[in-house]
Amino acid sequence: MSTTELSLAGSQPGGLGRYNRQAADLHYVTSRVMVYLLAFTAVSVIGFPLFWMVICSFKTSTELYQFPPAFLPHDWTLTNYRDLFIQTNFPIYFVNSLVVAGGATLLSLVVGGLGAYSLSRFKFAGMRTVSMLTLLCYMLPEVLLVIPLYLFVVDLGMADTLISLIIANTAFTLPLTMWFMRSYFNAIPASLEESAMIDGCSRFQAMRKVTLPLALPGLVSVGVFSFNHAWNEFLFALVFTSSETKKVLSLGLATWIGQDNIYSWGMLLAGAVLVTIPVVLFYLLVQRRLVVGLSEGGVKGE
Amino acid sequence: MAEPNTDLPGDRLLAYLALSPSIAILILLVAVPMVTVFAMSMQHISLGELSGPFVGLRNFERVLADPAFLNALGNTFVWVFGSVAIEMALGLGIALLLNIDFRMRGIARAVILTPYLIPTVVAVLTWHYMFNDIIGVLNYLLMAVGLISQPLLWLNSTSMAMFSVILVGVWKFFPFVVIALMGILQAIPQEQYEAADIDGASALQKFWRITLPHIMPVFLLTALLRTIWTFHKFDIIYLMTGGGPIDATTTLPVLVYQQGFVDFALGRAAATAIITFAILGVLLAVYLHLMKRAEARQ
Repeated sequence: MSTTELSLAGSQPGGLGRYNRQAADLHYVTSRVMVYLLAFTAVSVIGFPLFWMVICSFKTSTELYQFPPAFLPHDWTLTNYRDLFIQTNFPIYFVNSLVVAGGATLLSLVVGGLGAYSLSRFKFAGMRTVSMLTLLCYMLPEVLLVIPLYLFVVDLGMADTLISLIIANTAFTLPLTMWFMRSYFNAIPASLEESAMIDGCSRFQAMRKVTLPLALPGLVSVGVFSFNHAWNEFLFALVFTSSETKKVLSLGLATWIGQDNIYSWGMLLAGAVLVTIPVVLFYLLVQRRLVVGLSEGGVKGE
Repeated sequence: MAEPNTDLPGDRLLAYLALSPSIAILILLVAVPMVTVFAMSMQHISLGELSGPFVGLRNFERVLADPAFLNALGNTFVWVFGSVAIEMALGLGIALLLNIDFRMRGIARAVILTPYLIPTVVAVLTWHYMFNDIIGVLNYLLMAVGLISQPLLWLNSTSMAMFSVILVGVWKFFPFVVIALMGILQAIPQEQYEAADIDGASALQKFWRITLPHIMPVFLLTALLRTIWTFHKFDIIYLMTGGGPIDATTTLPVLVYQQGFVDFALGRAAATAIITFAILGVLLAVYLHLMKRAEARQ
């Protein structure tokens, strides 16, 4: 700031300099006001649906169906949450989702982690092609795979099982894990392992004791992305499963939409809030790596 | 990038051993299904059957001659270009805003990024409630501020439905653009702006001359990626409207689902899926080419 003032004072007669400074201050204040105004508008517009979802899940059914709607509940209630657990299969859906998302994530981390390590550390024919193919797999449309996979699932007698969903989800979470972890391993210097091996470790020991601990944050992040993908997945669940005891959350909640005569909006919104909580918690866990992770996963910056 | 090292005996074996489970799964879950879907597309598969007699390209002919396909193709383009254009513009604006230092920026950023993190079904449920013709808060708010004089049929009119679905899609996915652009905006050297300040450049000049050239490669790559993902998005449209009213929001992925799992004509669905994939293939080829170049440069 002081250098600008000096240059202003030096180049112009005193009176005019002060005038310019006042104009600059005014300009500064208006631009700050604009920034806050824009930020406030953006946050309120984008955040409103989230606010509305949470707030309305605490409303009584009378208030939920009242028009014009009241912005804050008159009587806050937990009835919707209680009903969700007593009157619906929500707890079953929740457990099923945990099994499917957890299973697919675990499978991808173990298998894909090893595969990525191999792609990153060893040089062999076709390595680059395999890497690009994993990326291609990740970008394939689900609707293309769902038709043949449905055929296999029915042929193998695996229709309406959670196993079929775990395996089908792996078709996307595995390439995601491989692609992400390959760049992560690439960033860990191979010389660390080499020194460990000079000190008498076997290749496997070096990998387990040196590289694995360093790669752990990466595994956690990509684990969260995979989990989220499988937690969200809808098409495979829609096509492969049908019975109430095998439904996952996305399918279970989706079948309630448009049946608001049976399931009240209150229950639906309470369900929506509960489905969101694990995802948001997980992201808080890897928040700092989120930006890096997403860009590694898809947009690799220059 | 770490130097790949394969100078130890037995390393090659270890390399293949570590990679083979991944390859095996990808072959079983991706490669074999891809071959299968091509085979299915050339069979006449009757209702409820899983395979049928070979009919060559007849499914493709039938699909291409079907007005439902042309309608879905048109809807797909509206959906993709509408969504991506708005997402990119909004994403750039918000990224520039969040790149400015202001109090409580962390909170603003968290709120703005949250739609991207929440499950699609949650977004759909919430918007369904807000879009409701009778009790929806959206109509109430818009009427209260005088933007509309009577309630809009957000999802139940053929002229509004696509707009409404795009609105929800943009809300859910534009934060991806914000995340991608925020990263690159922070990487622009501050000295360039300082130098421009000394030369008396206006904010607009700084944007055109410094910011835009720097972010352009990432901006285009993000747009391409969003185009690919939006193109084969199924769940958000299916859950918002089921492709309706009538077929106003039936995009190609929704059409594939309807042919395969509502009409149970798996052969025809396979053919439609392959045509969809072929259109997408052009975009994928561009993307893979760009990624390969970025890889090589690393």
